[in-house]
Amino acid sequence: MHPSLKTDRNKGIGNIFEIVYIYIFIYIIFMHISDGIIDTNVCIAAGAVSIGLVYISGRKATVDEIPTMGMMGAALFVASLIHFPLAGTSMHLGLFGIAGIILGKRSFPPVFAALLFQSLIFQHGGLVTLGVNSLNMGAGAFAGWLIWRTKFMNENIRALLAGFLGIIIPVLLMSVEFRLSGYGRGIIYLLSVYVIAAVVESIITLGAVRFIRRVKPALLP
Amino acid sequence: MKHSFLDKYSNLNSPVHRLDPRVKTITALCLIVIIVSEARGEIFPFLFYIPLVAIIAGVSRIPWSYIIKRCLIVSPFILLAALFYPLSQMLTQGYHSLGAYSHEFMVGLSVILKAYSALILLILLTSTEKFHNILLGLRKLKMPKLIGVISALMYRYVFLIHDEILRTNLARESRCPGSLKMSRFKVYGNQAAMIFVRSLERSHILYSSMLSRGFNGEFPSMRKFSLKGTDLLIPGAIILMVLTIRLTSQNIHNYLFN
Repeated sequence: MHPSLKTDRNKGIGNIFEIVYIYIFIYIIFMHISDGIIDTNVCIAAGAVSIGLVYISGRKATVDEIPTMGMMGAALFVASLIHFPLAGTSMHLGLFGIAGIILGKRSFPPVFAALLFQSLIFQHGGLVTLGVNSLNMGAGAFAGWLIWRTKFMNENIRALLAGFLGIIIPVLLMSVEFRLSGYGRGIIYLLSVYVIAAVVESIITLGAVRFIRRVKPALLP
Repeated sequence: MKHSFLDKYSNLNSPVHRLDPRVKTITALCLIVIIVSEARGEIFPFLFYIPLVAIIAGVSRIPWSYIIKRCLIVSPFILLAALFYPLSQMLTQGYHSLGAYSHEFMVGLSVILKAYSALILLILLTSTEKFHNILLGLRKLKMPKLIGVISALMYRYVFLIHDEILRTNLARESRCPGSLKMSRFKVYGNQAAMIFVRSLERSHILYSSMLSRGFNGEFPSMRKFSLKGTDLLIPGAIILMVLTIRLTSQNIHNYLFN
């Protein structure tokens, strides 16, 4: 970039071109950051945090919790194969909110394992970025759990919020990671765009919680 | 149940297929780390990396059509991430002639080259080995035990969920036949939730029966991993070569062009 151009700043946030490309970008790229896209130092730092969280989250897991963790990981993996159309493109279910509700603080290991599977089998996300992706999505599940355990709200509202945060928190973290990797400020639009997806996910989470409450209430803490 | 979609070409016979899964995994990881750690905007080293990756792919005998097809699936993620870099700089610094952003476009191009090199290596890793052997190899490489157990259970539970999907599809079709419609959203929602609840119940039953038979977190395997010197020699040489390129490419570039 020529130094003389740096003084000529365009702050036209409402530009149509800007909004259109950001929307296309965000819808397609969301969640699965492939290898080589973000800075290696960011990957290493996020990977270290992610491994620590997997250790803390899985520490002292009981025998009864292991099949639920395995099944939740498999469900997250299968859910990622179910695509539905949204605003001219397709997106898949995340289920991080419901994972957080069911698994609580044990959410990180299944999310990590599910992303390892997605990376190896479908190349959705990479090996080096596995830590970044796990951190983003595990944090979404963790936020879902934190909301769920606050008992002063109605259960339905908590389910809606858990589903909503299950998408918004990963998006927030991803926008920070892209900014740290040198991408421009347009990435902050992630939040505004992904509100639609977060609303869809929160409705699905509410439906799932109500169904589980009716059919197998022991699953819900 | 036939599930060859996971590792369709793992039964071929090639030097890459014959490698120990542990060596294969570590080699792929090392190569990916070295390649993606290239500085942003560096294009020159890829004149060496890309032919090397192509040679490995050729030796593996995995059809190029398959590799390209797998790459195409992920291409939107990569191409838009690469395109986003110069575009985000344009938005931040103002719109000027494209020539003013040549460095930003080179960064975008390097993102594409890095991402596709890593992607092809990942495709080769998973296509030349049975998936459960890769997981077994990861467990032998001292992957955390909990992740190892969860991964091994997940691999089995994916097929359990698939079985439940087939069963509940049959039940739904017999009760309300016809094509998928959005107006039946509640039916599909209940079906999805029922698949999850039934799969979870089955998974607990299976796990209890495993425990009653003495399961202690280890999955016994008939496959015996044995490392030979030649198993390490060629992958080691490839890693060393890529590392040398990584460390010296700047000097070679300066020597040739300055």
